Amino acid sequence: MYPIIELGPLNLGSGALLLVIAVFIGHTQFERIAHKRGGDELEQRARRCAPFALLGAAIGARLWYGLFNWDMYGQSPGLFLALRLGDLAWPGALIGGALAGYAYLRVRRMAGATAPLADAAALALPPAQAVAALGLLLSGEAPGAPTDVPWALPLFGVPRHPVPLYYLLAALVTWGILVWFAPRVTRPGSLAMLYLALQGSVMLLLEALRVDSLVTVGGIRAAQVVGLAMLLIALWQKRAQMERAL
Amino acid sequence: MAMLRGIVARDAHDMQAMAEEIRSLLMTFSRRMWDLLLVATLLAGSAFIWTTRVVPGAPATAPAPEPAATQPAPLVGHPAPEFTLSAIDGSQVALDDLRGQVVLINLWATWCPPCRAEMPAIQQAYERFRDQGFVVLAVNQQEDAARVVAYMNEQRLTFPALLDSDALVGAAYQVRVLPSSFFLDRRGVIRAVYRGPMSRGMIEGTIEQLIAETP
Repeated sequence: MYPIIELGPLNLGSGALLLVIAVFIGHTQFERIAHKRGGDELEQRARRCAPFALLGAAIGARLWYGLFNWDMYGQSPGLFLALRLGDLAWPGALIGGALAGYAYLRVRRMAGATAPLADAAALALPPAQAVAALGLLLSGEAPGAPTDVPWALPLFGVPRHPVPLYYLLAALVTWGILVWFAPRVTRPGSLAMLYLALQGSVMLLLEALRVDSLVTVGGIRAAQVVGLAMLLIALWQKRAQMERAL
Repeated sequence: MAMLRGIVARDAHDMQAMAEEIRSLLMTFSRRMWDLLLVATLLAGSAFIWTTRVVPGAPATAPAPEPAATQPAPLVGHPAPEFTLSAIDGSQVALDDLRGQVVLINLWATWCPPCRAEMPAIQQAYERFRDQGFVVLAVNQQEDAARVVAYMNEQRLTFPALLDSDALVGAAYQVRVLPSSFFLDRRGVIRAVYRGPMSRGMIEGTIEQLIAETP
């Protein structure tokens, strides 16, 4: 665990630093891929849409974390605005970013660009997630359940599932699958649906290994519910698409 | 000739009907397959979510590992350096007196934004675990008692705040970064050191583990 990176007189939080790098990578990749897949016009739209999607992601991530830590955030609502990069939750970021991006495109009467931009986002997100996962590993976030597996890493004094490493691996595999499919699918929105299915599966499966899950009634892990919903939406879309093709 | 045309027309009609029938069959099959897949995913996913839900309960108790060293030092595995400081209520608090409890020594200052940011999570952990033998010592670095009292009251923080007016404890714990946090097990051995802000998961994960240990 290396929560602090010392650069001369500066002490930077490794998790926060890598999160900022991840956002930068995701953002630049999003515009670059939009250009590659849809020329200058799509790149322009990506450039205009990205700040809103990022803002939506930040708000969603903090709201999600705050609402599931209501005992703490309810007492100090100022925490919702605190500059604290640890208190962010990925499901909230994904939902907030997608909603804000879609709302912007609708308001600006560019709803037709939703599917191609969602495809570009699907290709841009996995490398950003891989870097963010590395940040989780360095800062000791997303601790896993204690285990005896040979690849366990010590954290809080006991060997645990290295959940951030699993996230890293999952992001790289997701990236590989999407890059392989990218030139092979023509229908706009297909890559986004594939990403939704893969990401949903990852959230459903890996969340089970975490010991810091945000939970809802009956101890149900909120991220798993979102993951399953994402997987079902992707399958439902695929079913509708197959039906139309026949 | 007319008969031949009739046969061809009938055949073409038959072919068309057959194609329509195959299309309809494929569609039914495909729709059924997808419905089945959706229902199976929903059921299997829900069952997985239910079986992996968070069940309240204490983590398994395990014996605490032997200390790595006997010499006091601000390092994991070493006994924590001793100190006695004045609390903001005027009482004297000695670390030695807290043997048998899990202790979080948090070195902080009111001017330090990441220190302020983690205080609510520390307060929550204190409220949650204090009955199980958990103590927080918030060792303030060289600030006025009045300023520290005002901050603690304003933020409704109820754990003991100590005044390290000469930064002697800061020096003994080799503090280069604020906040710096040291988690001590029941024997007074440092088991985790975090330099920089901690998340709620990190704080509570460490405490849960140390509380579950038998000394």
